[in-house]
Amino acid sequence: MERDLLRQSVSYHGENLMLLLKCEQSENPDFKRVAADLSKTPNQRDKEEGSPVLEQFIARKADLLFAPSWKTSTPADERQEESGEAHAVMPPLEQFMEVCFEERRELFYRDVERGDLVIGRINSVRDFGLFVTLLCTAGGLERNIEDLEIKALCPLRCVPSTGNHDDPLSYYQIGDLLRAGVKGIDRYHEKLTLSLYSSSLPPHLDKVKLGVISKEDLPLHYSRGEKVTADSSQTYEKLLESSLGLSNPLNVDYLLGKLGISDTQTPSLMRGLQSKHFKEDDFATAIRKKQSVSWALKCVKVGVGHFKSRRYVEAMNEYNKALEIDTNNVEALVARGALYATKGSLMKAIEDFELALENCPTHRNAKKYLCQTLVERGGQLEEEEKLVTAEGLYKRAILLDNTFQGAAEALAKLQLRIQKSLELKEQEAAKEQEKTKTVETSAEKLRKILKEEKRMKKKRKRSTSSSTSSDTSSTSSDDDSSTSRKKSKKRKHKRRRSSHGSKKHKRRASSCSDKMADDDIEWFPAPANTSASYIDQKQSISKLISEGEQSWEKSRCEDGRGRLDDAIDRSLENLKHGAQSETSRPGRPNVNGEVRDQHRTQSISECARNRRDSSSSTQSEYSQKSDRYSKEFSSQGRDRSESERDDGRKSSGGSLKKDIPSNLLDIFSQIAEFEKEKKLQK
Amino acid sequence: MSTQASTSGSVNEARGRRSAEDVEDSKKHFRVCRFIIDTGVKLGMRSVPMATACALYHRFFQSASLQVYEPYLVAMSAIYLAGKVEEQHLRTRDIINVCHRYFHPEREPLELDGKFWELRDSIVQCELLILRQLNFQVSFEHPHKYLLQYLLSVRSLLNRHAWSRTPIAETALAVLKDSYHGTVCVHHKPQHLALTSLYLALQTYGVQLPRGELEWWQVVCADITKAQIETIMSELLQLYDMEAKCT
Repeated sequence: MERDLLRQSVSYHGENLMLLLKCEQSENPDFKRVAADLSKTPNQRDKEEGSPVLEQFIARKADLLFAPSWKTSTPADERQEESGEAHAVMPPLEQFMEVCFEERRELFYRDVERGDLVIGRINSVRDFGLFVTLLCTAGGLERNIEDLEIKALCPLRCVPSTGNHDDPLSYYQIGDLLRAGVKGIDRYHEKLTLSLYSSSLPPHLDKVKLGVISKEDLPLHYSRGEKVTADSSQTYEKLLESSLGLSNPLNVDYLLGKLGISDTQTPSLMRGLQSKHFKEDDFATAIRKKQSVSWALKCVKVGVGHFKSRRYVEAMNEYNKALEIDTNNVEALVARGALYATKGSLMKAIEDFELALENCPTHRNAKKYLCQTLVERGGQLEEEEKLVTAEGLYKRAILLDNTFQGAAEALAKLQLRIQKSLELKEQEAAKEQEKTKTVETSAEKLRKILKEEKRMKKKRKRSTSSSTSSDTSSTSSDDDSSTSRKKSKKRKHKRRRSSHGSKKHKRRASSCSDKMADDDIEWFPAPANTSASYIDQKQSISKLISEGEQSWEKSRCEDGRGRLDDAIDRSLENLKHGAQSETSRPGRPNVNGEVRDQHRTQSISECARNRRDSSSSTQSEYSQKSDRYSKEFSSQGRDRSESERDDGRKSSGGSLKKDIPSNLLDIFSQIAEFEKEKKLQK
Repeated sequence: MSTQASTSGSVNEARGRRSAEDVEDSKKHFRVCRFIIDTGVKLGMRSVPMATACALYHRFFQSASLQVYEPYLVAMSAIYLAGKVEEQHLRTRDIINVCHRYFHPEREPLELDGKFWELRDSIVQCELLILRQLNFQVSFEHPHKYLLQYLLSVRSLLNRHAWSRTPIAETALAVLKDSYHGTVCVHHKPQHLALTSLYLALQTYGVQLPRGELEWWQVVCADITKAQIETIMSELLQLYDMEAKCT
């Protein structure tokens, strides 16, 4: 019990109250504690004004009235009034009551606090500050103080400077209206110190502008008060009735908020209405929820009946109805999930089960069904080769319910499968490593052969060519800038090229082969994807590749399209490093790869076509192309490679080239095999 | 002489009977109003709609008889109507649920079947009945806004610390809310009721307000006298005594 309150009350009412309290509250332990102190308080009140009924009331309800928990209101911060009257703003009651001068003065000095806002008129400007006669209060207090002639000082240090190095006091003149915050109070000597800095105000009044104000800024209660003094017929009542704020329908809510009292939990002094008597279950929302749940369950039961009789559409309708009545109803969600799973929409089923488990984590059926659906979905994903996702799902299923056999088995199987595929890939990689090695050795052989050829052709004709264009194109089209540089150097050496004639072709071939020789180690062109089935000979693959390299060399050089080059580079890289998972291709976009593949297949098929048809038609087609190519680039090497290829196709030509055609075929066959295998692994 | 005596005796008897009836009636009304307020709390009603519901009920039974109309049904319809009037719309389903539980705490909530819809229909019919009985004058001016305005004004008279430790607002509002158990609300002006509850609260805690030419309550309500305040106060306090008798 609040001792001070009780004491105040008892001293106000007198002995009677004390006696009554002792009588009524004798069982109350809280009262007994404070009772001892109370008996000492003197009686302040006149006897004839005593109200026995009231005293009886107080005594009976003392345990409620004086309980510490009775005071529920949280004092809300005094915010400045917004424009638009939410409630009627009235002049201070003191004014109406005509409280006497002395008392008002006394009360003012008793109640004013630091941080209050006041408005006053400047009555003298001295060099140490401003003297202000207070007009009214503007926040914190609401009192009628105009005629009290309270003088306050605003010292110089509390006047903010205007910033242009003038004397800040020059800004202020006698008669100005000033709004300031109370900085210091000397209650005994009745002296006030003001400040024009916002720091003197409490935080919630930060926005208030201090300083000189105009008449319009005077607070409403003051201006209304002025009207009242002017017109004595204006009573409190009349003023209240006429004010706009009173007719605001929401003023009750607003004012309750202002006083800090909640509207739905207003206190009561009736014993039966105390909050402890209200059970949570009796409230409308709780009952409604229970009702909805049972209603929804009925719908679900009907739906399950439909489901069992295979009437899926009706079942779905019932479930949806149930969920409309009661959203996130666990039974309805589980039933709907089962229906989705049966119909095959596994993702939706999983969603529903998860939602159900969120609401009720211990629902047995939900868990069981979810496990089953996850495993099923995992199976689906496995077939689509999305092994990692499938693994994830299986693991989740196991987490949910580690007794579920199906999930564990499926996970084990999947993991085996992943392992197997990984092993396969490793084997492939190993194979590739071997192949590259063998490739290298046969490449060396080829290099020698070609060098000889080159030397021979050099002795013959030399044609001018614009090697620079070829160089630049090659550099632009090649990722390996170093190799391209080497190639360009080589090309520069072999400048004199012609754009027409078989000899050019031959030269081109040689230069290309030179470049090829340099590049052998770094990259290999894409192998030709011949659909013809040839004998699988590992050794000849390397030759095939180098042959392919020659042919691709040309295309690489001439059109300067980086993609083809990329295709050549990386496809060979793939061959080298084996068919690791497609995703592990370092930094190569898939589109590019597709394009590459396309180009590769195109060119490969082109080659194949050429190879197969030993007719001149293809030859001419090919030479047309070569002409086209040679326009962009004219270097001896290109010519040479062209011619070489032509020769290869013709399966005739110099003695040097006799070996190559057959090897070419073999190599192409090897490449074809490889391609097939790769495709399978995808 | 004897006839006079006998007639006066019979008149007295009649009066006695009537007052006995009145007492019973007022007890009944008390219980039903308790039911209204209880239900209002469970439905999350704000103070003003709750006050309207009680006022509607009292007004209705000023001219109607308890023998003819079922008071609890009237109460439920009054709640429904009050929600509409004061813009805090309540669903009949919620009203029926809460009321059903009030009377049958052990049972499950009602199924939404034929019986439920019948109940709902009866509430709506009764609503129309209330409207007609009151000549469609269903907007009331309640003391709440006056009380809150007076509280603000009185607060300015007090030291802020004294205000913050004295639960004047809570007590005044509690007294006002409890006043709806009886017919005070329809017999007195809202300003007077507000004033009285505030007066009561201030007296309870022995708060001393500054004195001027006029007392604060004289300022606030020019036409009220101390005696009137006392009368209303005693009426309010009687309600608390009634609680002991009725519940």
